[in-house]
Amino acid sequence: MAETELRKRPAAKATTVNGQPESAKPEFEKPVATFTEDADPQAKNKIPKKKNSFNVVPYIALLLTIASVFTRVYRLGRADFVVWDEAHFGKFASFYIKRSFYFDVHPPLGKTLLGASGLFVGYNGSFPFESGKQYPPELNYTGMRAFCSLIGSLMVPLGFYTGLQLKMSILASTFLATMVMLDVALLSISRFILLDSLLLFFTALSAYCLVVFRNYQKTEPLSTRWHIWMAYTGISIGCCLSVKWVGLFVIALVGLNTLEDLWVMLGDLKMPVRTYARHWIVRIAFLILLPAAVYVFSFWLHFTILNESGEGDAQMSSLFQANLQGNNFHENPISIAYGSKISIKNGARGGGLLHSHIQTYPPGASGSEQQQVTCYHHKDQNNEWIVMTPAEEDMPAENEIKYLYEGDTIRLQHDQTKKLLHSHPLVAPVSKAHWEVSGYGNLSIPDPNDLWVVEIVKDGRLQLEGEKREIRSLTTRFALRHKALGCLLHSGESKNLPEWGFKQAEVYCDKTADVKNPGNLWNVEQHWNSLLPPGGAAAYPQSFWRDFIDLNIAMWQANNALTPDPTKEPDQLTSKPHQWPIMQVGLRMCGWGDNELKYFLLGNPVVWIGSTVALVVFAAVCFVYLVRAQRRCGDWKNEDELDDFMFAGKVGVLGWFLHYLPFFIMGRVMYLHHYFPALYFAIILFAFVVDHLAKRTGKVLHAVILLAFTAGVVAVFVQFSDFVFGMDGPATQWAHLKWISTWNVFDGVAGSVGAALSGDFGGAGSGSA
Amino acid sequence: MSEVRKRKGGKEREKDADEPVSPVPQSPEKAKAPEKLAPAAELSRKEKPVVKPLEELIADAQEKQEQWSNTWTVGLVFVSLLAFLTRMYRIQDPGKVVFDEVHFGKFASFYLRGEYYFDVHPPLGKLLLAGTAALAGYDGHYLFDEIGDDYVVNKVPFVSMRLFPALCGSLIIPFCYLTLKELGVSYVAALFGAFMLIFDNALIAQSRLILLDSMLLLFGVMSIYTWIKFYKTRMSPFSFQWWFWMSMTGVSLALTLGVKMVGLFTIAVVGIAVLFDLWRLLDIDRGLSMTQFYKHFAARALCLIVLPITLYLSFFYIHFALLPYSGPGDAFMTPKFQATLMGSEMFTKSVAVPYSSIATIKHRDQGILLHSHDAKYPLRYENGHVSSEGQQVTGYEHPDGNNYWEIIPVDAAKYPEAPEFKADAMELKRDVRYLRHNDIVQLLHSVSLSFLLTHDVASPLTNTNMEMTTVPRDKADERYEETLWRVVVQGGKDGDRVRTKSSLVKFVNVKHNVCVHPNKLTLPEWGFNQVEINGEKNLEHKSNWWAFDDIRHTTIVNGTDIFEPPVDASKKPRGHMPFLAKFFELQAKMFEANAGLTSEHPYSSTPGSWPFVVRGISFWENKEGLRQIYLLGNPFIWWFSITAVGVYVGIWTVDRIVLRRQVDLLGFSLRRWFDRSIGFLFLAWLLHWIPFFLMGRMLFLHHYLPSFIFSTMLATALLDFIFRLSNERSPSTLTGGNAALAARVPYFVWMRTSLFGNILYTAVLVGLMGSFLWCFAFFSPISYGYGLPSVEAVRERKWFKSWDLQHA
Repeated sequence: MAETELRKRPAAKATTVNGQPESAKPEFEKPVATFTEDADPQAKNKIPKKKNSFNVVPYIALLLTIASVFTRVYRLGRADFVVWDEAHFGKFASFYIKRSFYFDVHPPLGKTLLGASGLFVGYNGSFPFESGKQYPPELNYTGMRAFCSLIGSLMVPLGFYTGLQLKMSILASTFLATMVMLDVALLSISRFILLDSLLLFFTALSAYCLVVFRNYQKTEPLSTRWHIWMAYTGISIGCCLSVKWVGLFVIALVGLNTLEDLWVMLGDLKMPVRTYARHWIVRIAFLILLPAAVYVFSFWLHFTILNESGEGDAQMSSLFQANLQGNNFHENPISIAYGSKISIKNGARGGGLLHSHIQTYPPGASGSEQQQVTCYHHKDQNNEWIVMTPAEEDMPAENEIKYLYEGDTIRLQHDQTKKLLHSHPLVAPVSKAHWEVSGYGNLSIPDPNDLWVVEIVKDGRLQLEGEKREIRSLTTRFALRHKALGCLLHSGESKNLPEWGFKQAEVYCDKTADVKNPGNLWNVEQHWNSLLPPGGAAAYPQSFWRDFIDLNIAMWQANNALTPDPTKEPDQLTSKPHQWPIMQVGLRMCGWGDNELKYFLLGNPVVWIGSTVALVVFAAVCFVYLVRAQRRCGDWKNEDELDDFMFAGKVGVLGWFLHYLPFFIMGRVMYLHHYFPALYFAIILFAFVVDHLAKRTGKVLHAVILLAFTAGVVAVFVQFSDFVFGMDGPATQWAHLKWISTWNVFDGVAGSVGAALSGDFGGAGSGSA
Repeated sequence: MSEVRKRKGGKEREKDADEPVSPVPQSPEKAKAPEKLAPAAELSRKEKPVVKPLEELIADAQEKQEQWSNTWTVGLVFVSLLAFLTRMYRIQDPGKVVFDEVHFGKFASFYLRGEYYFDVHPPLGKLLLAGTAALAGYDGHYLFDEIGDDYVVNKVPFVSMRLFPALCGSLIIPFCYLTLKELGVSYVAALFGAFMLIFDNALIAQSRLILLDSMLLLFGVMSIYTWIKFYKTRMSPFSFQWWFWMSMTGVSLALTLGVKMVGLFTIAVVGIAVLFDLWRLLDIDRGLSMTQFYKHFAARALCLIVLPITLYLSFFYIHFALLPYSGPGDAFMTPKFQATLMGSEMFTKSVAVPYSSIATIKHRDQGILLHSHDAKYPLRYENGHVSSEGQQVTGYEHPDGNNYWEIIPVDAAKYPEAPEFKADAMELKRDVRYLRHNDIVQLLHSVSLSFLLTHDVASPLTNTNMEMTTVPRDKADERYEETLWRVVVQGGKDGDRVRTKSSLVKFVNVKHNVCVHPNKLTLPEWGFNQVEINGEKNLEHKSNWWAFDDIRHTTIVNGTDIFEPPVDASKKPRGHMPFLAKFFELQAKMFEANAGLTSEHPYSSTPGSWPFVVRGISFWENKEGLRQIYLLGNPFIWWFSITAVGVYVGIWTVDRIVLRRQVDLLGFSLRRWFDRSIGFLFLAWLLHWIPFFLMGRMLFLHHYLPSFIFSTMLATALLDFIFRLSNERSPSTLTGGNAALAARVPYFVWMRTSLFGNILYTAVLVGLMGSFLWCFAFFSPISYGYGLPSVEAVRERKWFKSWDLQHA
């Protein structure tokens, strides 16, 4: 049949084309940009409603919501210990309650909400959330989990209505919602104190808003509801981005759709230029400025709440830290003198503190094999250096004060190891184009390679003109020039040392000696000198935007530094993107001892494998349609039908693609749950493809097929439900569920290694990814 | 402005696109969709008389084309000669090993010796180099050990070896010139384009040495040229010419891929063009029946898929045929492969492993030996972990008595689940039992007399893997199961004997189901900086493989089994592998090794920096005479080319946006030329560049050269396009300002109205060329390596800090 159709010349089409009357053809052949010409555009794109009959839609939605809430709260408090990344996100929530400053790779909104949920259930922020530790009785962890669960269960009605808005049948939308509800993985991850349920919810919300907005764009552009839904979309993508940067992918989806809209309207010559301009302006306001505002607001909230010094201080500029309560920077003596003990912070965004430790450069990494000098982001005694004169005899006497001035030549002694900051014409370990910096020698042996000249580049506070300028703590930005080589002490540019350097930032001597490069600039962060008076609470300038940019850059750098480290991460926790759609991996969310309660993060095979197959089938369907179009077979009743098909395909495929493909180019360590947002879009496409193909089989069969798929999802979920609600006793009881050999439900041998190593396993610092 | 404001449905435009552009002119009525155009044309005709009817213009153009064919030939000869001269000039200088000659010269030597080597590139380029060397009478005695070694001292016919790449490098130019001609640019522009390529310092430096790139570039531009020639014959399908050019395209693609894997990008360019072409053939308005379409499809599959694959495989066939002997590349291959090489230890030294023998166990990738010594793990490690304080088991690279382990069979009395012991009649007769695939054994350290064991303690450097230690013989019984190891042979079948060297085995602990596995890291001082050995839970980990190496047993004398006949090393090897199995193995290893080239090289660079001449590669240097060869593009030409690419993207974007508003600036036929000619070059440029951004391996400036050639051709065509569009011979002037008619003037009409364009245009080209020539001359000392008079002269050429010239 298809074969003969393909052979038909246009002449043969004259009578009928694929059963469609010929009259349908001209409408299809109209130029794309004609939707404004429709006589009654409103009527066409409404969700099909059965008039004069019982409207089942809200009841189904309600039922689905109730069911999904039930699945998400059932036996919620059963695990009375810290499960998996609760160790991170529970801890971060505590910091908000304690108001102490911390640093994390994710934007703050999600964690702020978790903190709020903690506050709501009366948590005081005192529990350290160590992995696998039992919750204290006074901490209502179930309440905090319930918050995530409830948010997560809202994905289900969202999915349902998204299906309807994409013009799927009610049964197909129910199928979609059932998949979202009963996918074992989406369900598991929504039940703990994690960011994922928030992220997934905002992703689903963004997708829903986008679809609704698109329907208004087709029928009543620039109407009030059109504006409202665009604003909703903007807020929603802003929230998504403020929870995790993965939100950028959904922004890309919305952005591409927006560009397409604008492109289509550009071809509409009948549209007045003013109207077209308005389309641009409104979109810029609602889809760029509004999300940006949400994102910035989440940081404003972050900085406002966290006003006390905490463990994340060192990621920020020294001036930011000076404004946190509880640190002693304001006690720094102002001007640096010889003999002062100081810590020195790099001026690049997210720069660390000049650091050295007893470990040496390993053979092969550099020529010298001398002591390592790095930049480190945490406060540590190894960050402390003492300012010394070039010759020992020039040092001031015990009680004498000799200030350090611009242009002075100094030596810097590492306080812990007594080695001196040293550089020499040997190639740096990572940046081969520059000279290595090391810790070497001692005070009594004069070595010209230990000498550094202090050059002031900028000073935050006024100093008298013409006078020799002093080096002041916090406010003076200076460069350290190596006297013999002329190069500048440098760090930054996110070049980290390999494992032997503990992934700390590389420090080298920059041959280009460019004082405009912020990586070449340093400031004194902490300053101790018993002879000098404390500086007092001097007014250090504070700037939200500076802190905002600093923090974002630091997050970016920390994110890039999360590279796979086989020695720290068990292989079973991390995974590779190509394993996800074919369900090659599951993830143990906690210790795996026989007597422990266990949770296994694994998809529902019908949903995962089915959605992957659906992507392939959809590609095949598109290919067939394209070839048939090229042979003018006329498969579409009208342009709108084609447009709806393409739009649903775009949301599904593009959404999946944009949320999945970038992981292939990311260097960072990856986990199974990174696939979940992509999965949501694959689920949409799955329901759509089944609906689209089943529709051709007639009404009854259409319903039967969809019900069968739905039943399949439910049946498989029942099989796997123990993975979600907790497995008690030896994991071998679930051996029959090891459908694929790579799922590590159990280790294959009874009395497994997991028991012995469980301490390291339970959420072994998965980097809170 | 020649605006053509007309409403046209997408369908109609589609139809235009399918109108054949044949050199045989069609009457305007027939050629175009007449319904809407004709009235417009007639209307304008009334307003303004047309200078010449379209038919005449076309006839004129064709006539002129014939008249000028001799002129084009003269140009071809001229640019070819110049190309030869620039590439051959002082080719004998320096008579030293320069840069990657160290590799490719060496590989050529291996072909002449017949010794197996391994390289990440396919064999064709190196085969050709070896071929020229053989013609020059070279026997492969020298292995190109280090950059700077003297050729004359080592008696290598290096000039002859350099001649071939230089020849290929020269032939690039005529092919580019002809490609430009086929694309329809003017004579003067084609000369200009060829000149840019002749006088580019990077192409020269890269072509004059024993390197693969000039061949790669030549075959790449040949592929593009032959494809264009084929595309032009598409109006007479299945003619001799059509078949010829299509199969030549297939051959060129295979040659390109045969030199370097970069050829895949060329294949992608042609592949996209083929799909585009097929897609349009499928269009029902083209009038092809499905049967005809399938014929087209099959013809392309034959010439562009089957033919290239066959050729590509044949290169490997020759490769294997020429390398019958064991050589430095053995270690990269599986034991099965190695066993096919004459003189390989895999069959001369391989013996079956008997029980109770004492053997060393060597790791396949790291070459370390399983080792234990009289030292304990410290109770507490630096990372806070606690150890078992058991005896250390490490990986050690040097021969040592502590590397020997005795192979002891499992005792069924202590481990009832042990598989039944197999022995054939021969073994019973000789009273020797051989180790077999899936046997369970204990490994007894022959110095400390303790058994290898693993247990539930984290290894020193990891959280996840188990500690590997030993237990003294007298205490072993309590922990019997933990000392049992299942010996699994790679690809083994039940009953297979384990052989030394040639059988890859992994040792799986019976109790804990972990493999003996070396960490990448070395232990701290307490472990004497030896490699950590631990128990890896992932049994499929790719570095779980070991092989028994040196073996001691009463039945083994001088490394041969007394029961087995001695092997004659000069005879045909015992191993056999079908050609395709060899091919797939080598291909997989090549990809693996290529991806593994991740270390940093002082002269490696990032793809984003290439088009802008940010830095080059120091090939060779000699302090005396301040000589050096530094690979650096002619900055003026490179900047000019990349600017042109930007301008192209700009014009394209503006045109598309304006067209969306139904304002047609170019006219249909001009836009088609713009898209298909310049657009094709743009695609070629893009696809030879962008993929490098995704590669993790270290990259060098010369990886950009294929892209550079396409960008230069793009620059030429674009310049021609802009000047001709703005001068009096643009289509609208040809038709007397009749925009509608101008839109239908085929490109070859307006492109062929003159040889030189106008004076202004020629002057601009000559001016540009002058500056390019000056720049070429200025940098030629560092491209040819003939030295500079003073350090100042070197510094003068160091325009940017990032150009790390030597002696500056």
